[in-house]
Amino acid sequence: MKKWKAAFFSAFVLFLFTTFAHSQQAEIRILHVNDFHGFAEPYKPLGSDELLGGIPYLAAKANQLRKEKPSLLLSAGDMIQGSNWANLFEGESVMEWMNEMRLNAMVLGNHEFDFGQEVLKKRISESRFSILGANVEGLDAVKPYVIKELNGIKVALIGVVTEDVPLSTHPRNVAGLRFRGPIETAERYIRELEKRADVIVVLSHIGFPADRVLAEKVKGIDVIVGGHSHTKIAKPVTVGGTLIVQAWEHAKGLGVLDLLIKEGKRIGFEGRLEEIRPEKGKEEKATLALMKKYIDRVDAILSVRIGEAEVDLDGENVRRRETNLGDFIADIIRDASGADVTLINGGGIRTSIKKGEVRVKDVYSVLPFDNYIVVIKLTGKQIKESLEHGVSAVEEGEGRFPQVSGLVFKYSPSGEKGSRIKEISVAGRPIDDGREYTVATNDFMAVGGDGYRAFGEAIKSSRDFSVVGGMMKGEKVVYSDSGRWLRDVVVEYIKERKRIAPKREGRIIEIQG
Amino acid sequence: MKVYVNQNSVEVLPGMTVKHALMSAGLFEEREASRKAYDEWGNELGVDGALSEGMRIYVKKSKV
Repeated sequence: MKKWKAAFFSAFVLFLFTTFAHSQQAEIRILHVNDFHGFAEPYKPLGSDELLGGIPYLAAKANQLRKEKPSLLLSAGDMIQGSNWANLFEGESVMEWMNEMRLNAMVLGNHEFDFGQEVLKKRISESRFSILGANVEGLDAVKPYVIKELNGIKVALIGVVTEDVPLSTHPRNVAGLRFRGPIETAERYIRELEKRADVIVVLSHIGFPADRVLAEKVKGIDVIVGGHSHTKIAKPVTVGGTLIVQAWEHAKGLGVLDLLIKEGKRIGFEGRLEEIRPEKGKEEKATLALMKKYIDRVDAILSVRIGEAEVDLDGENVRRRETNLGDFIADIIRDASGADVTLINGGGIRTSIKKGEVRVKDVYSVLPFDNYIVVIKLTGKQIKESLEHGVSAVEEGEGRFPQVSGLVFKYSPSGEKGSRIKEISVAGRPIDDGREYTVATNDFMAVGGDGYRAFGEAIKSSRDFSVVGGMMKGEKVVYSDSGRWLRDVVVEYIKERKRIAPKREGRIIEIQG
Repeated sequence: MKVYVNQNSVEVLPGMTVKHALMSAGLFEEREASRKAYDEWGNELGVDGALSEGMRIYVKKSKV
């Protein structure tokens, strides 16, 4: 009898406590970042004269805001890849910073896969916070969701990443993985969690337009903390009953969302985006030290000797004629992509490398732009038209002048524009106007950079992008590796070969008349 | 993937960004001259932001 009484009393106390706790209102704060991409230092964005960002200032702001209310610090993905500060350490620097910041949870972004699965698993093993990916199958290291308790409020965090990851990174990086639809995934986990949590937050790396659709289609999401589209949302956007926030990019913004919760329901909110500006004396000291530590390491890595050039590599004349450096880079692109032909713009090659030691920074000076390799099918006729365009302003030394691999062509520099190309051969055979060839180029030219239109026309006619047998396929597009900069492909190539002595091989032959 | 820049359609590849859409529309340099890119709801976009099918981007003088 005594046992029954004790059990009844315990249950009654629990009932009273639960009832009391749920009748109280509580306030929690969500701080959030997204799409950092390793931009640790303040910088002037294009079109702005003002310095923005800087992790020492973001950390200081986050710490200040955390002291005011019980808070969670979240990331909506794409943190570990993008700039030298991140890439040269395969994201280790960023993971150290996020640990230092006492992040609570993060969803994987598409660019988290860019260094391959082994590196990603290592980064995850280093993290002291939850890394989420509810719609990622085949990667045991990530969790679908986590529940955090804050000020008596249970907050469920579900992570979803764009299902297009396989279309935006090298196929080997996602081999064996499956990315389910974010909507069906969110539906599934919300049903599972709605009785276990007071607040449901979807940490989303699917982009603001898709976040809006998610909010419309899936009921029960209190907040979507977004990323991927780098959207600067100044105030929370309400779609249905869901709040959507996103904090721009590159540590230039810190999102702040305060939620007032009563009886497991959101009864109020206030949100804003804090723009991060460097102010002397306002930096967080430990983060400043961490930032500088890796800047010093970046400098050291850029100075590392990767090989030896046995000849001068000519980057000065790439806008007027074939050079050995143009041939060298075009060959590396063809080798890396497996294309029939490479066609790149000479203007993308910015300087020369002197005979002697080659350092990482020499390659980075030659290829300073964040370009990546794209392979598109062009007909022989389109290749000819592209080459005509390429040589059409050789007298002005414009950047469109081509550097090539896998083909040889003759042209007349003094001929009428549009009729200068006289002869083209691919793999030793005359080009066939009607046949399709795989042509490697860079992303700049693929979207019509330097006036090259053929690639854009091919993209326009290409449909049904999908991953087949581990490789992205479109009707006309066979390769696109947006997660790996061309300069890093060249660095790796030189590291493997050690000694390089490229010759000018006679691929672009000037003739008179 | 088709997106719209100032009402004109451009075609880009999956994985490409706002920057590529602006280049394809011939508006990237114009953006550098104190213009910025916005989505159809008026939110500013970073140039490395991901694109989605049918997305509408507007390049205009910055709000601030």
